[in-house]
Amino acid sequence: MAAVNINNQQFQNLIKEDKPVLVDYWAPWCGYCRRIGPAYEKVAEQYGEDIVVAKVNIDEEPMLAQQERIEVIPTLVLYHHGKAIGSIVAPESKARIDAFISESLGK
Amino acid sequence: MIVIGGGPGGYTAALYAARAGLDVIVLEKLSAGGQMALTELIDNYPGFPDGIDGFTLGENMQRQAERFGVKTELAEVLSVQLDGKIKEIMTSDGVYYGKTVVYSTGANPRELGIASEKEYVGRGVNYCAACDGMFYKGKTVVVVGGGNSAAADALLLSKIAKKVIIVHRRDNLRATKVYHEPLMNAENVEFRWNNTVSELLHDNKISGVRIKDVVSGKESVIECDGVFISIGRIPVTGIVKGQLELTPDGYILSDESTKTNIPGVFAVGDVRTKVLRQIVTAVADGAVAAHYAEEYLANVQAD
Repeated sequence: MAAVNINNQQFQNLIKEDKPVLVDYWAPWCGYCRRIGPAYEKVAEQYGEDIVVAKVNIDEEPMLAQQERIEVIPTLVLYHHGKAIGSIVAPESKARIDAFISESLGK
Repeated sequence: MIVIGGGPGGYTAALYAARAGLDVIVLEKLSAGGQMALTELIDNYPGFPDGIDGFTLGENMQRQAERFGVKTELAEVLSVQLDGKIKEIMTSDGVYYGKTVVYSTGANPRELGIASEKEYVGRGVNYCAACDGMFYKGKTVVVVGGGNSAAADALLLSKIAKKVIIVHRRDNLRATKVYHEPLMNAENVEFRWNNTVSELLHDNKISGVRIKDVVSGKESVIECDGVFISIGRIPVTGIVKGQLELTPDGYILSDESTKTNIPGVFAVGDVRTKVLRQIVTAVADGAVAAHYAEEYLANVQAD
């Protein structure tokens, strides 16, 4: 499954569900966001059964980015039962994203 | 063949080796391209008269290699065992075994290690004047550092930017003499000796730097549109230390043959000792490594 771009409304609905939601806050002009793209798609493929793997374009959803206090991108936030349970800024490898997911869900 | 690092050198070695009939896997921790993937416009790689962005060039190299059967795994290499006929590569996603290894992990620019640095790459924080200098035409930039690369960067930028301010922690340049005179004579170059950068100032992009005098402790602010950090590079060789011979700076000791002290292990691109670290020289290394890897395999099989 590919990572899906979501808007504010979809975000509000999704995070209420039982399934954890991973969100990559990104923008088209952000070079490093592009670099993590292939790794993030791989994450979507591998974790798709258990986690909703989503992306939010902060240029299209500035209100949501502001409300979630996203100050730098790329920031990955994992939500469960309506609240953020962990975040990571500019991960340096796919392995780091894997570790972040298991650490956050293990809490 | 196992290629560690999916930059231009790594994917060229993979392309040549696959076309020569070897089974090749590239282990890459994030995405293709390496350092060049963060360069917005590459104008010194021939064949692209209008330039090409580094990320696209990296993906193209990956696709081209994969067309000939190369596989890519997004895995981080944790440790290696390079001795012996079968080399073992331990990664975040399991162990890989290969008869030859191409080590092409590259080098990272040395960072200042201060707040906001990573987040503002591409928004005022730069590590390569030759790559990103053109974005600062008629603007004011700060160059941090005092070695050869900082001096060369400052000189290049002085021809593009309105004003260049060199911030250096010592009271003179460590750079070779050829740089001194043109820099001192350039009307738009200023020096802030004995100063280090203590803070990057920004709104949604860099707007200035706060510097601190290492002698008096006095702080001051320089307004600028961009910062070029030129304080050296760090080759990514931590995990081969003790197996491959390294220079004191950490580069893998090798030459144009790309051979290392271990038969069957080749060092390609920025990670090895070389005069010029560019995409064109990295891809050249890749082709040479594939050639000697083939030769090595032929000899091993003949034994």
